[in-house]
Amino acid sequence: MSREAYQVPSMGTQNAFSTDAGYGSAMAVDKSSVAYLCGECSARVTLKSGDQIRCKDCGHRVLYKERTKRMVQFEAR
Amino acid sequence: MPGSVHSQDPQDQSMVDAVDQSQEEELVLDERRILVLPGSSETAASFQFEGEGHTMGNALRYAIMKNPAVEFCGYTIPHPSDAKMHLRIQTIETTTALEALEKGFSDLMDLCDVVTEKFTASRDQFNEENNNKMQS
Amino acid sequence: MAPLVPSQEELQRRRIIGINAETVTNIPSTDFPGHWPGESHGWALDQFKQNFNVEYHRNDRYEASFSLIGLDAAVANAFRRILMNEIPTLAIETVYVHDNTSVIQDEVLAQRLGLIPLTGSVEGINWMRWEQKIPGDDAPEVELTDFNTVVGQLSIECTQNFDAAKDETDARKLYHNAHVYAKHLSFGPVGRQSEFFVDDGAIRPVHPDILIAKLRPGQRIEMELHCVKGIGADHAKFSPVATASYRLLPDINILSPIIGEDAKKFAKCFPKGVIGLEPVTSQEAAKAGSGYQGHAGELKAVVKDAFNDTVSRECLRHEEFNGKVKLGRVRDHFIFNVESTGQFESDTLFLESVKVLKLKCARWKRGLSDLMA
Repeated sequence: MSREAYQVPSMGTQNAFSTDAGYGSAMAVDKSSVAYLCGECSARVTLKSGDQIRCKDCGHRVLYKERTKRMVQFEAR
Repeated sequence: MPGSVHSQDPQDQSMVDAVDQSQEEELVLDERRILVLPGSSETAASFQFEGEGHTMGNALRYAIMKNPAVEFCGYTIPHPSDAKMHLRIQTIETTTALEALEKGFSDLMDLCDVVTEKFTASRDQFNEENNNKMQS
Repeated sequence: MAPLVPSQEELQRRRIIGINAETVTNIPSTDFPGHWPGESHGWALDQFKQNFNVEYHRNDRYEASFSLIGLDAAVANAFRRILMNEIPTLAIETVYVHDNTSVIQDEVLAQRLGLIPLTGSVEGINWMRWEQKIPGDDAPEVELTDFNTVVGQLSIECTQNFDAAKDETDARKLYHNAHVYAKHLSFGPVGRQSEFFVDDGAIRPVHPDILIAKLRPGQRIEMELHCVKGIGADHAKFSPVATASYRLLPDINILSPIIGEDAKKFAKCFPKGVIGLEPVTSQEAAKAGSGYQGHAGELKAVVKDAFNDTVSRECLRHEEFNGKVKLGRVRDHFIFNVESTGQFESDTLFLESVKVLKLKCARWKRGLSDLMA
């Protein structure tokens, strides 16, 4: 992975059956402020680009991304 | 199962797959078609049904065999992955293969009517008897 | 020349499939024209109507057991196959996941939802049409309308229960909505469906207590479900029967007398009630050559009820019964057992299956007449 600026991921990389869904992307504040979940205390941590990657409550350094807000479609088979 | 599915042996007239373009008669009837396979004559013909299997194949074969004018009747499914069924009918001179096929369908439909009738009657009678038993 | 009429014994012999210790004999049906010289076996509707019989044994709402007598195996099997594979049923087909933070993966949840049997107004289900796949370039586009789709929702979140006891261990008491059951699925009528799928006829799961997933606080499931009509041949979730099966009526023929201790042992070889023990009457004992001489008053084995026999062939394993009993099955007596999953009633299912066979024949026959012209 290069250290260039963040690139918008292409469509259709979700799952076998993710269709349009399109406009459900993370509607955060436009400073790409994204919410993450702390690995230890499961607290919701919002980070802006450039912030230190550390949980605000417990200082744990492993954060997980939240599940996408996009709708995913599946065949019930 | 007759020999290899892929054999294009010209002597084997019975169940040749409908890949040959010669003498094909097909009919598209809302996506269901009966193909008369090549090498068929008035009294000896092979038909291909798409989308059918043992369910109708065996029942239809039984109905057609009950026809005294039919000399031979058999069905096969050339490959289980394809939903195709081949039915071969050979008749004596008094009737044609197509007529025998049509009669087979009619007889099967009459059979279904009789089954429905008798089943409904028996079921209603059973329900009545049970209701009487429950009330008494 | 008038057709030969075979004797009753001969007819009975032809009717029984022989079941021996290691083999099964006399299997194929032989009632075709040309097989028996001089006899006529051509199709005769009135004769079939006369000989065909239906006997009902049990008619609970979702389980029916009945006998079809006088039918050929090919047709009985066709009915059974259609019951399982070709009767249209409603089931969840597409799942649109808006949120799923449970430990169960999306696709696993979707598959589980598909298998949940649904029930509702039968009239409404019959009114619904099939999904019309409009052929597109890549993926065939499907038009979803109120005619062909029923919409449901699964929307549930697990939260902490602050009223639970301190040392409570049961997840269902510690949290709200820890277990997601089928009763949490909700189906609302859309458009013209309000005519059919309301009140009692509303679409709902047959068993509200099917466990779908387990949650812990903070986990949410938010999905939209689309149900369509399909057939069992496409996917087993569309099969309206838990199973539909038939067995042939067993036939037990006692050839020479089985008396006394042997008779008791014989009765033990079969399920209870199949073999009864009756005392030998003095007339039978008096009959010379019957094998009963000198055994007046002793118990002899008599076939009371072959219907409940499971044909385990246990009696063929014992030497003392060698040659004294003949087991078999009646070729044209089919004892059907139809268990419905709950969407339709069992007796309607069988009638539907007969209707489907008739429709198939009708459709192909129509195609034929164009071929002939």
